[in-house]
Amino acid sequence: MILTIIQTSWRRLRNNRSELFLTFIVPIVFFSIFAVIFGSRDSSSSTPKIKIAICNESDSKLASRSVELLSEQGSLRITNDKNQDASWVLLKRDAGADLVRRGMVSAAIAFSPNKETANPKIEVLTDSFDQVSSQVLTAVVQRVVYLAQADLVAAEASSRGAAVRFTDASSANDSSVVAPASFSAPINGKEGVAAATGSSMPEILSVDLMGGQKTNPVIAMYAAGIAVMFLLFSATTASGSLLEELENSTLDRLLSSRLTMDQLLLGKWSYLTMIGVAQMILMFSWGAFVFKIDLARHWVGFTAMAVVTAGASSSFALLLASLCKSRTQLGWVSTIVILSMSALGGSMVPRYLMSETIQKAGLWTFNAWALEGFNKVFWRELSLDQIGTELAVLTASGALFIVLARIFAIRWERA
Amino acid sequence: MSVESVHKRFGDNHALRGMSFEVKVGERLALLGPNGAGKTTLIRTLCGRSRPDSGQILLFGKSIREPNVLQELGVVPQELAIYLDLTTRQNLECFGQLHGLRGKQLRDRVKWALDWIGLSDRANELVKNFSGGMKRRVNIACGVLHKPRILLLDEPTVGVDPQSRQRIFDMLDELHSIGTSIVLTTHHLDEAESRCDRIVIVDHGLVVADGTLEDLMEQTVGAKRQVFLEIEGVLVVSPPGLRWDSKRNRFVITVDNIAEELPSVLTRIQRSGGTVKDLEVHQPNLHDVFLHLTGKELRE
Repeated sequence: MILTIIQTSWRRLRNNRSELFLTFIVPIVFFSIFAVIFGSRDSSSSTPKIKIAICNESDSKLASRSVELLSEQGSLRITNDKNQDASWVLLKRDAGADLVRRGMVSAAIAFSPNKETANPKIEVLTDSFDQVSSQVLTAVVQRVVYLAQADLVAAEASSRGAAVRFTDASSANDSSVVAPASFSAPINGKEGVAAATGSSMPEILSVDLMGGQKTNPVIAMYAAGIAVMFLLFSATTASGSLLEELENSTLDRLLSSRLTMDQLLLGKWSYLTMIGVAQMILMFSWGAFVFKIDLARHWVGFTAMAVVTAGASSSFALLLASLCKSRTQLGWVSTIVILSMSALGGSMVPRYLMSETIQKAGLWTFNAWALEGFNKVFWRELSLDQIGTELAVLTASGALFIVLARIFAIRWERA
Repeated sequence: MSVESVHKRFGDNHALRGMSFEVKVGERLALLGPNGAGKTTLIRTLCGRSRPDSGQILLFGKSIREPNVLQELGVVPQELAIYLDLTTRQNLECFGQLHGLRGKQLRDRVKWALDWIGLSDRANELVKNFSGGMKRRVNIACGVLHKPRILLLDEPTVGVDPQSRQRIFDMLDELHSIGTSIVLTTHHLDEAESRCDRIVIVDHGLVVADGTLEDLMEQTVGAKRQVFLEIEGVLVVSPPGLRWDSKRNRFVITVDNIAEELPSVLTRIQRSGGTVKDLEVHQPNLHDVFLHLTGKELRE
């Protein structure tokens, strides 16, 4: 008897292609997708570089030498423009800070004149959204400044014909000896990293431009990530009603009335978008109530992002439905596509943790654009015109998806 | 409705091969055919959901491709093409609105439909909780809210008990009495015989017979009766026309006129040494006509 049950179950599985696919192929597909997304960090060619801007308003040699050494760091990608002689066009501190605030760079390194000492004031202007980069960068800057200082001391000593000797910081008592500064993580947004030893070692300040004043800053990011993913899942499930109507001939009846396919698709799109916006409002309201997301102050940007994200999700869901032949097929296709897009687009793990190649690939998912938009609204506190790119990309992709869905739905109109 | 040389292919499958017939105003027409004969394709083509490769369909003199012409048509698919997770009233309102009904007109038609299908007291219950027959009635009501002049029904009584079938045909009779033309496909020959004015038999995508039941019988099996006889004893001489039917295990003879011919048949059998113990007169019916035309049982 037991053998009969096993045999029958196996035969049923074997006769059901989609179930067979879900059981044996989908896990391998998922494993491969996630391995590519998160596993490629080991590749040296695709290890993410920290995107920075360099600001220099100081005319000190230490600053100039530090800039030279920074440009040699393989872990950094300097976004400044270059002069004709291949030297960097260096920004002012405020311009660098603005780039950080707008999310154009992960951090900016600013060298400013210091009235009290000959050494420049050195600041690492960070965005604690990317906590890994800001900490790594502070350490890199510290090392670079140390090396620059050493180079200058060596050059000066050489010009005087003196020998240069490096000793441990604890025994440093000579002005010609430079010891590395210790590093401490920034607290409350702004904390000096003192040059613990050596009177000539300049002070390096790590300044968190973004997260310091926020009550619960990263929650908005997670709310957006989860909201976009579930928006897609719920929209896809709801768009399955189209296939249900096809399967039970309700579509025949609907299209035999005054209703056209255009009206049917637009009606379903409007409904899915409204439900999506409602889902977003509910999730962020809960976030505001329980996790102190500052929804009230950002409601304009939130509304704009919620509408375009829900609209794009609805269009995408209808496109998937129009591509599938049955609800079963839609079920497994949407599971694969949505989870892959969510992983790639940053709904599961922040994109800055992914390799550069995967980060670029992520831009082909609208999850990435939606998350970036919400991030700009809640984290960077940018105005509506400053999230124009994200709004435009989501609106355009939404329009493209619904047009494609309409084209694929032609086959249902005229059998 | 006029169907003129309609062809429809799906790849290598030639579903309709030049089908032609007419439905007159106020007529009840049964479309019969074995499975795969092209009935459902025909219904889908008639309601504009499938575009014919050639030929045309006219409704009250206009092509069904012209705007608003299909408004004269009501469609009841074979499947339950309704929302099971809506109430009866919500379903009726939905399909009424999609056919352009609004306000008082919609309310009146919904009320009429609820009375018509006998579900006024269950108007606010979810359809998924209904019996098969009740669901069928809601399915039909959703197709007639906009007062179509011609109603297409694809097997409206499939899978329902005899009581519900009777109820559905009573509903259709009511529609017919106010002038609605009815075209239905069915596997129940008795429905076609007793409930329809005319019968169109299709097979292999073609109309193989078209007419009233009497016409069809005249054209095919004729009006002759078969008489099955159980005879005891050995017949010395077999009366002319009497033969053995191995299927029914009886003798059979075909006669034109029972009253005139049967007594002489019985006398001849008796004279030949046989005694008739039992006899059964079989009147030709639609089943014989169908079998004669298609060579198949209706459900084959």
